[in-house]
Amino acid sequence: MDTEKLFAARLHAVRARPYLATALFAMHVVESSRVPTMAVDRHWRCYVSPRFVERTSEEVLASVWVHEVSHLLRDHARRGDRLLRAMDREGPGARLQVNLAADCEINDDAFGDGLVRIPDAVYPDTLRLPANQLMEEYARCFSLDSEFQHLVWLECGSGADGWEREWDLGPEGAHGLNDQERDLVRFRVAQGITARPGRAPAGWRRWADEVFHPPQPWRQLLGAAIRSTVAAAGAGEDYSYGRPSRRSTSLPGVVLPSLRRRPPRVTVVVDTSGSVSDRELGSALLETAAILRALDGRRDLVSVISCDAAARTVREAAADSGWVLIGGGGTDLRNGFSTALRRRPAPDVIVALTDGQTPWPSSPPPCRTVIGLFPRPYTGSVADDEDNPDYRPDTPPDWAKVVTLS
Amino acid sequence: MTSSSPVVPSFSPSPQLALAERLLGLLKESATEPRQDLQIEALTLAVAADLPVLLWGEPGIGKTAALTQLATELDLPLTTVIASVHEPSDFSGLPVIGDDPAVQGVPLAPPDWAVRLVRQGRGLLFLDELSTAPPAVQAALLRLVLERRIGALQLPPGVRIVAAANPRGSAADGWELSAPLANRFVHLDWVHDAEVVVRGLGGVWPRAELPRLDPERLPAAVEFARRAVCGLLTVRPELTHRLPSAETRRGRAWPSPRSWEMTMRLLAFGSAAGSSREVLSLLVRGTVGDGPGLELLATVDRLDLPAPEDLLADPAAAVLPQRGDLRQTVLDGVVAAVRSRPTRERWDAAWALMARALESSPPDVLVVPVTTLASLRQDAWEVPELINRFAGALQVSRRAERSAARVPAVAGRR
Repeated sequence: MDTEKLFAARLHAVRARPYLATALFAMHVVESSRVPTMAVDRHWRCYVSPRFVERTSEEVLASVWVHEVSHLLRDHARRGDRLLRAMDREGPGARLQVNLAADCEINDDAFGDGLVRIPDAVYPDTLRLPANQLMEEYARCFSLDSEFQHLVWLECGSGADGWEREWDLGPEGAHGLNDQERDLVRFRVAQGITARPGRAPAGWRRWADEVFHPPQPWRQLLGAAIRSTVAAAGAGEDYSYGRPSRRSTSLPGVVLPSLRRRPPRVTVVVDTSGSVSDRELGSALLETAAILRALDGRRDLVSVISCDAAARTVREAAADSGWVLIGGGGTDLRNGFSTALRRRPAPDVIVALTDGQTPWPSSPPPCRTVIGLFPRPYTGSVADDEDNPDYRPDTPPDWAKVVTLS
Repeated sequence: MTSSSPVVPSFSPSPQLALAERLLGLLKESATEPRQDLQIEALTLAVAADLPVLLWGEPGIGKTAALTQLATELDLPLTTVIASVHEPSDFSGLPVIGDDPAVQGVPLAPPDWAVRLVRQGRGLLFLDELSTAPPAVQAALLRLVLERRIGALQLPPGVRIVAAANPRGSAADGWELSAPLANRFVHLDWVHDAEVVVRGLGGVWPRAELPRLDPERLPAAVEFARRAVCGLLTVRPELTHRLPSAETRRGRAWPSPRSWEMTMRLLAFGSAAGSSREVLSLLVRGTVGDGPGLELLATVDRLDLPAPEDLLADPAAAVLPQRGDLRQTVLDGVVAAVRSRPTRERWDAAWALMARALESSPPDVLVVPVTTLASLRQDAWEVPELINRFAGALQVSRRAERSAARVPAVAGRR
């Protein structure tokens, strides 16, 4: 095998993508004439066909190196396992679909900037799909019918789709990386990307942010935040000696406290400014209502305030018919907070649903606060604010529990 | 209230019931086998190190079964307390009014299971359903877990504490764990391995064995653990204490002086028991959290790499790591050491090392260290003869440059 060519290509890849150097060097090369091109297994071995090296130029080989290492870094084998289990499918066809979807996830922003596009590779537009999606999304969007039959020779190995090949050396073979070593390599690469985010494409930055902290579904997070806030000691429920415990009769001589529960009053402050879409608001409100109902069920203790520049009380949430919100225009959530706090009896908990494009109260309100935040990517364009391009809205205060709803 | 020593009435069961008993008995019979199981290994190591463990797992996944198994293997009586059905006073002690409270005070009486535990002197205390315990009960548990006190009782050193909780997603009525309580536990994710479950239902469960500590290695283990943790915190002091701020990470492990101390203990135990890196990884990441844990593991990895000065002192005997990325880290370290104190001898020794590395590694790994080393040459130094051997590596570098030059500036962009 022309190893000089193969390694010159790897060096080219390292120079073009310095943040992938650790991962590229961590792969162990295995010469194999049974793979059609280059393929990886779960243990970071890279199987290379000598004939493929011979007939391919260095610059294309460099792109293939980056492509293969991306399968490993992005953990496509394990994600493929999970995906197929969720879709209840198995077999070479399903695995090929995983491989193609994984290729799309990588190829949509891997090349350019020092690396050529691999000819004959699969891109989202090959499958007539939009770019910048995850493997899981791609895999659900196409099926392998006759139209794509010419792609079936594609083969990135078990590291790309989780399907064991006959040439795989397996977990017991030499020079494999174990789970812990793989995690460490991923961690170093992610650190390199987060340290200098400007050099990596958006797909890699997103990967680096999420590799060890995959985002959780916001419904669970919002639920847990509201639940723990509403249930925290002091917000309604507490132990008291004011009334004898239910156990007292059986334990003469023992003074027992009993659990006294005063259901907490919750005020939901909703940002109805023009920048928050009705669909977003609708789903977040429904979710909040469902959580509060599951927690207590006394709707008379929950009230909703819609808030734009001037806070307007909507109405008490008394019926199932839903909450009608009035608003539009700019927001000042401070009005919403002060209106909520002026009510008597005062709320124990405030839940604010907003996109964060607002000033915040300067001091923590005298009650617990949960903020459900609709993310707004900061575009950095002058159009955001023509007078002051550096304007950024304040970040949510740290006295509140902040859940990003996306 | 039932009496604490129930009187078993003597009766002769019906033949059908007796058969049913026998069938139940046969079903319960199971054997154990030694089996490589990382999560059990991690659990036993933490239990041996006397650190409270918190198992996170979906309901019905076999946490209780695993604990029963562990208690049997360790020969410790198991006490299970379902935290969510207790009141705070069950953990902080029930106030009992005596004859003369003004003189004698009001003692806090411990519950019966605590008294039994203390009388036995040893045991495994299993606090189940921790995440569904109300916040006030969690607050009372703080003292039990940290100070090992229940009311006026002090748990003896032979008692080990393990807790279990359901992840937020699956506990519909769950509270999140408060940050102080979360910081006191080693968090382990408990997942089921289909193969283990099938073997177990077939009658053979994996055996949890206490780690065998090597008496020879104890001082070295302590030294290793201290060097690893202090080494990391010296260069990354901001990791010493970092309360979880992101909502996703609440209720799980986070770094604080307390959890770093726990980590150090786990590292020492793991090192003395010769545990694998993967077990250590589970434990460390479960104690200080993923990010700080991974940084510590990276530090540990670097401790394992040969020191540049040792390599320079005896290049002929050098053993270099096989993996390309680690090898490059070592060689970069060697070049940095030469640069910091450049002498002719050290420069030559470094070349000898590079030549050694060339024998067994892909040439592209060497390109950066070799070119940097060459640039350190001072005028009086002659170029060593073995530099010819690097012609191949430099050829690779030139080919890579030519290849990069062939890529048009806008290639691949659309």
